[in-house]
Amino acid sequence: MKGKQFSVKVYETSIEDEEKFISFFNTHYILFKDRLIVVQGELSPRIEEYLQSKSLLYANNIVLPSSRSRQNIQQELEEQKAKELKQQELLAKEFAQLSKRLDNNLKVEDGIVRSGQEVSIEGDLLLLNRVNSGAKVRTSGNLIVTHAVEGDIYCNGNFMMIGNSPKANIIFNGVRVENALLTEKLNKIELIDNEIIITAILKKEINWA
Amino acid sequence: MGIVIAVISGKGGVGKTTATANLGLGIALNGERVALVDFDIGQRNLDMILGLENRVVYDMVQVMDGEANLKQALIKSKVSDTLSFLAASQTKDKTVLDSQRVKKLLEELKEEFDYVILDAPAGIESGYEHTIEFADAAIIVVNPEVSSIRDADRAIGILDSKSQKVKEGQEVVKYLIINRIVASMVQSGEMLNSEDILEILNIKLLGKIPEDKGVIDASNQGKPIILNEKSVAGQAYQRIAKRICGQTVRMEDIESENRGLMTKIKGMFQ
Repeated sequence: MKGKQFSVKVYETSIEDEEKFISFFNTHYILFKDRLIVVQGELSPRIEEYLQSKSLLYANNIVLPSSRSRQNIQQELEEQKAKELKQQELLAKEFAQLSKRLDNNLKVEDGIVRSGQEVSIEGDLLLLNRVNSGAKVRTSGNLIVTHAVEGDIYCNGNFMMIGNSPKANIIFNGVRVENALLTEKLNKIELIDNEIIITAILKKEINWA
Repeated sequence: MGIVIAVISGKGGVGKTTATANLGLGIALNGERVALVDFDIGQRNLDMILGLENRVVYDMVQVMDGEANLKQALIKSKVSDTLSFLAASQTKDKTVLDSQRVKKLLEELKEEFDYVILDAPAGIESGYEHTIEFADAAIIVVNPEVSSIRDADRAIGILDSKSQKVKEGQEVVKYLIINRIVASMVQSGEMLNSEDILEILNIKLLGKIPEDKGVIDASNQGKPIILNEKSVAGQAYQRIAKRICGQTVRMEDIESENRGLMTKIKGMFQ
């Protein structure tokens, strides 16, 4: 397809009084020589004839692309800029909130949890020590314990990781975890479709000797 | 200025008072000035094990109440003149103790002695809390069985949260004594071995004491077993006393049975 692009100056008008129109063009028709006159509304044969006699280009009832003033464009740009800025601010805020949540959520404890002690954590907990018999650990989030557990664990997170703990009492999202199933060095416990799934993360070291 | 050592166990009947008497005497025999204080108010026993029951005139509560001064109440041991003993009250109960009075008493004792050793009551009630409140160090006595370990664990937890030193941001030094070890039972797996116990409690080992039938008779007679050089438990207490006094003493292996002739002969030269 071939095409050509023109930049044409357009004079848009509508005719209320034919006499006035003709007298106006009689005096100024020179100014409209290289313009396209768009008449919106009714165009009578008399006016048409007149315009042809003056060899002026004209069109009737066509939709023109809405013209925007420089001011309008500026305003529009500014609006867009403000919108972008706002979006950016929103993103930054969300990001800050997210990182704050991460900060708050992962707690790392390295003290031994002794009998009679209770550790209650809102969020996730990484526990780098033992949970002794008679001790309690509760988390609303995920839990990872790297040492032996002989106490009570209440975890309401999406997952927990725990070693071989034959003496532990583990309640995961309200369901008791059979600790005979926690046979490996590190086991991952998840709740998928109301079913507890245990997968081995670290296998038991096998002594070949 | 002396240091205050609390002897604790959590569970009763593991040999806390026996350990207190023997260690106190052992340290005193090494030339240090030692005060033994029975904090088991209402159920005092330390006087009997030390063989000093008929010499108790004033007790700790009377000193706190001002009825007697410390000099009058302290009883010198017959065996070692650097060992003194302050009896618990047998007629009162543990509620007579309060922090201010305990602190004052211990401050006075620290002026006079190198070691102030407190025999804690069993359990974790207020009497126990007062015993550990102003302690600089604690000796935890356990038997190689799960209930004793769990109770000791609980007692350590309270020590780590309620003692004055911890509240000031310092740490109470904790040492473990495993009492009444029977080698054959450890070997057969009926008794916990010391490695397992240390892993659970996570504190330093001060010494291991083998089961010794002579301990009961020694307590009944009021002559602590440490005075009996032939007793295996007495020897173990002697080693621990030396360690407390800063000497380096090898940790004896009392958990494997030395049945063979060669090991017996080797043992003679150790």
